[in-house]
Amino acid sequence: MTERVVITGLGAVTAALGGGSAALGAYLGDPRPVAPTIPAGTLATLIDGAEARRLSRACQLTVAAARLAVADAGLPDCTGLGLVVGSEFGDLRSTLEFADGYLQRGPSGISALLFPNTVMNTMAAAAAIAVGAKELALTLNAPEVAGELALARAARAVASGRVAMALAGGVDQIEPALAPVFAALGAPPAPRGEGAALLVLEARASALARGARIVGEILGVAWRGAAARPHGVGRGADTRAIVRALEAARMRVADVPWVYDSASGDTARDGWERTVLGAAFGSSLPPRASLAPVLGQSSAVGALRVAAAAWTARSGLLPGPPLRRVAGAAGLVHGIARGGSHVALVVGRGEEDDLA
Amino acid sequence: MRRIAVTGLGAVSPFGAGVKAYWTGVAAGTCAITPVTLFDTDGLRCSVAAEVPDLTGSVRRSRADRLALAAAAEALEDARVTRRERADVALLVGAVGGGMLEAEAWYWARAGQGTGGRLSAVRSTLPSSHADVVAHRLGVYGPRETLVTACSSGAAALAMAADLIADGVVDVALAGGADALTRICYMGFSALKLLDPAPCRPFDRARRGMSIGEGAAFVVLEEEGRARARGARVYAELAGAGMTTDAYHVTAPQPDGEGMARAMRAALGQAGIAPAAVGYANAHGTATPQNDRIEARALREVFGEGALLVSSTKSMIGHTMAAAGSLEAVATVLALAHDLVPPTVNLETPDPDVAFDCVPGVARDVRLEHAISNSFGFGGQNVTLLFRRV
Repeated sequence: MTERVVITGLGAVTAALGGGSAALGAYLGDPRPVAPTIPAGTLATLIDGAEARRLSRACQLTVAAARLAVADAGLPDCTGLGLVVGSEFGDLRSTLEFADGYLQRGPSGISALLFPNTVMNTMAAAAAIAVGAKELALTLNAPEVAGELALARAARAVASGRVAMALAGGVDQIEPALAPVFAALGAPPAPRGEGAALLVLEARASALARGARIVGEILGVAWRGAAARPHGVGRGADTRAIVRALEAARMRVADVPWVYDSASGDTARDGWERTVLGAAFGSSLPPRASLAPVLGQSSAVGALRVAAAAWTARSGLLPGPPLRRVAGAAGLVHGIARGGSHVALVVGRGEEDDLA
Repeated sequence: MRRIAVTGLGAVSPFGAGVKAYWTGVAAGTCAITPVTLFDTDGLRCSVAAEVPDLTGSVRRSRADRLALAAAAEALEDARVTRRERADVALLVGAVGGGMLEAEAWYWARAGQGTGGRLSAVRSTLPSSHADVVAHRLGVYGPRETLVTACSSGAAALAMAADLIADGVVDVALAGGADALTRICYMGFSALKLLDPAPCRPFDRARRGMSIGEGAAFVVLEEEGRARARGARVYAELAGAGMTTDAYHVTAPQPDGEGMARAMRAALGQAGIAPAAVGYANAHGTATPQNDRIEARALREVFGEGALLVSSTKSMIGHTMAAAGSLEAVATVLALAHDLVPPTVNLETPDPDVAFDCVPGVARDVRLEHAISNSFGFGGQNVTLLFRRV
């Protein structure tokens, strides 16, 4: 990466927290399992009446998180802001409503208003309109790791100068109608969560110039495809994403004091991830944390893992339970998905000497 | 700055499988828009589309996965990328509908409408399925991304793949887009009153909307020095790419075309050339009254009135959604390689608001140095790719 990329803001709307960097820190200090669905009243405080009527729920989550992130970063305006939104399922609820309209009432039941929401970029489009982001706006679709992937991609876009800054992260919502379908297909019973989490990434020099508060730094990223059947887990232990992310951060495997992994309760996938991490770290696998067991799996959690890694780098605390004290100014965020999408980010505290 | 060479092409279009069939159809000005056979269109505004004929591949895979796989395999073969080399090749796929056509069949049958759907098809519904299938079947294990930017997805995949090469992340990338016809897409555009009941007529004063199509196209992009060193055939250089967002409306383009113009200027800036150096624009050209008028306005803002040839491939193959940007990129590359600008068919009475020669009916022999391909999508997602002759 050519420009150093720092994290200057977070906006998160999940069942456990609604707010910015401070809210995340407070939650991570005592992360308690919560009901997976966001209470109805939470969004009402973050979205105005017109948006509540006009936007789908998935879009409302994204818009709310975008506004929280922009405010948390203290961005005076969004000139030069790009968007990278990761999602596993997009606005599937609107897609099902659209199909049901036709199936129940024939051609007269087709909704022109719902149709745009059937395209997965609808959340990014709504967020771009809400905050006035006019540079590239990407939506990345991937199983399980879309949030982390969006942040890695956005960090690369900022580092290379494609955009001056980026709002990036993940969004997904729980769709109850899908659970029996996935069960019938033999999907693992991993707990699902929902929400939106977006981080503001900026070039370090620009952030310092505007006096921004730096809450973390993305020191290295890499994403690859690991060999696996579609929808399946792989047998190999491809560590290239980890190696390349560490190389970019000028770190060795032995320098990694802690890891946020993507363990979610999908036994086969979690086992594959342990194999990959084991191949990278050998017998000295550092302490690990994953937020999915307490928040439920969603693309938002992938993004929150990156924000949480920045918090760990600064606080020296790794969430549990139990909460653990760890050393080191930077650690690894790792995710691997069924089908083989593989992503690694090295996240630090954002101090001047982190990339010495 | 690392330069980006186009060294492989693959396409499956409404003219059939292969780049040769695609270019032959496009160069001849053949309209492949015919009555829909894949699903029932009773009660909808329109009943024509551009379907891919005689699609092969395992029927256990979704139609869109098969489209993607065939086009991706052709591109890799065309570029002579070996199995061993593919382990480090980036794979970027623009996608929208995923395997929705088959998931719809299951959902429709479950609701008592239609028969034959398979529950297992639901697995491949998501757009990311194409990339996972292509990677697994063809052994492509570099950085993998599925990009959804609506109707500009295929072009976005090329733009972001070029960035990965320019930044030195990879030396080679396989990038493109794929989409099959789906009921939901067809019904949605029908409900928005954006479909012409007859084959579409881009830039015609009497145009009434778009025609939907399906297909896939992939290109192999490669760091130019590496391509030259291995003696690869270089079709063109991808010299610039601009990506912008209107931030204006979820379905309607910004009326003044500012976002579109910004994408075109960004591509020119990255290529380091003046507008006058561009001789041809493969337009987004959907044939909706609004899009064509606003795109023409943006082209005029950037290049000047009548300053370049403009044509719409969609007049022949319809709007192939996520595949459109990559199929049109392939047409643009071949226009440079063959000194031939594809026509806009069904264009009888040029719209006076479109201040360009839109190459009606018959392809034009023209030597081009630079050409652009525009792709725009819902959400105001604008992508311009700029190719240079080699």
